[in-house]
Amino acid sequence: MEFYWENTVFAILAFALLYFLLNKYAFGPLFSVMEKRREMVQEQISSAESNRKEAERLLAEQQKAMAEVRKEAQEILEQARQMSGKEADEMIRQAQEESARIKEEALKDISAEKDKAVAALRGQVSAMAVMIASKIIEKQVDEKSQEQLIDQYLKEVGGKL
Amino acid sequence: MHQAPVLELGGFNFDLSTIGVTVVTFLITFIVAKVMTRNLSVENPSKMQNFMEWVVEFVQGIATSSMPLKKAKAYVSLGMTLIMFIFIANILGLPFAVITEHPEPVKVAGLTIVSEEAVQKGIEKGHHGAEILWWKSPTADISVTLGLALVVFFLIHFLGLKLNTKHYLKHYMEPYAIFFPLNILKEVMKPITLAIRLYANIFAGEILISTIIMAGVFGIPLLAVWQGFSIFIGAIQAFLFTVLTMVYISQATIHEEH
Repeated sequence: MEFYWENTVFAILAFALLYFLLNKYAFGPLFSVMEKRREMVQEQISSAESNRKEAERLLAEQQKAMAEVRKEAQEILEQARQMSGKEADEMIRQAQEESARIKEEALKDISAEKDKAVAALRGQVSAMAVMIASKIIEKQVDEKSQEQLIDQYLKEVGGKL
Repeated sequence: MHQAPVLELGGFNFDLSTIGVTVVTFLITFIVAKVMTRNLSVENPSKMQNFMEWVVEFVQGIATSSMPLKKAKAYVSLGMTLIMFIFIANILGLPFAVITEHPEPVKVAGLTIVSEEAVQKGIEKGHHGAEILWWKSPTADISVTLGLALVVFFLIHFLGLKLNTKHYLKHYMEPYAIFFPLNILKEVMKPITLAIRLYANIFAGEILISTIIMAGVFGIPLLAVWQGFSIFIGAIQAFLFTVLTMVYISQATIHEEH
């Protein structure tokens, strides 16, 4: 087999052209697609990471808000409890005052009635005394009979009272 | 030993068979690569795209085994072209060989394709005329493998001078200035060994195939085994050529800090 340098030159040219064509039309696009995929995967990883962080942040926020709400509810409950206790005290106090007032009024009424009764009695007693005196004068009785009479009248009066 | 159809034109000798199979290899390589990278998709790659991406990663693996990934990326395209072209070239001659016998010199349109000389040579070897081999592996021709090796040789020294000038020039004097001739010899031997290794493997494979064919029907099982093995050799040689190219490039361009 002879050696032809023209073959060598031809092979070099063919290889150079093949390299150029493949690089431009086959491998170039393939590399760029692979690069794009790599970038896509990277992007997805980083976005997943940021999503996770965001979720964690939101969760923490939610928990904080939840705790605050719980605390607030507790406070409201406490307040309500205090308020209701005060109210009950107030009601009791009012009731006591009311009852005291009623009692006082009743006492006043009673004493007024008593005064009335005593006044009425006094009137009657004086009227009776006048009657007794007039009877004594009428009958002109002795001392004994006087006493008897007085007792009798007093008894009468007492019986009437 | 078969002869080549040589077209003499304007003082040049064009070996039609070698040029022909080189063109065929060129076309097959380009069409395969082009078809494989049709309908590229980022999110939903086809099976062919997956295969090509596997090849890319394979070649990238070869390149990164001898240099950092950042620098290796620039040579992946070169490595892919080399490995595909050489592999296809290596197995091109396996399925068949086309041989024609010419008792008379052949002229087409006034141009000599088979010369009187070639016919005489064939008759001297005991044939009826010139035995012309039309179809073979382009890499079974040393002139083609030398062409590839020269491409690599040129690349190594160009990249070495461009990217790593100081250390590239210094390495000829290492470890001492007296080693200069040895270093020169080493550099010269690189493309020669590349070319001869590839050529010899493929050429020997084809010689063995044509020898087995002489055994006729009895040779068929052996032929099948040898052709299968030749595919393996073709793949190994393509791989080796690519690996050595990457190693040479990294030797010339990468300066490691000591």
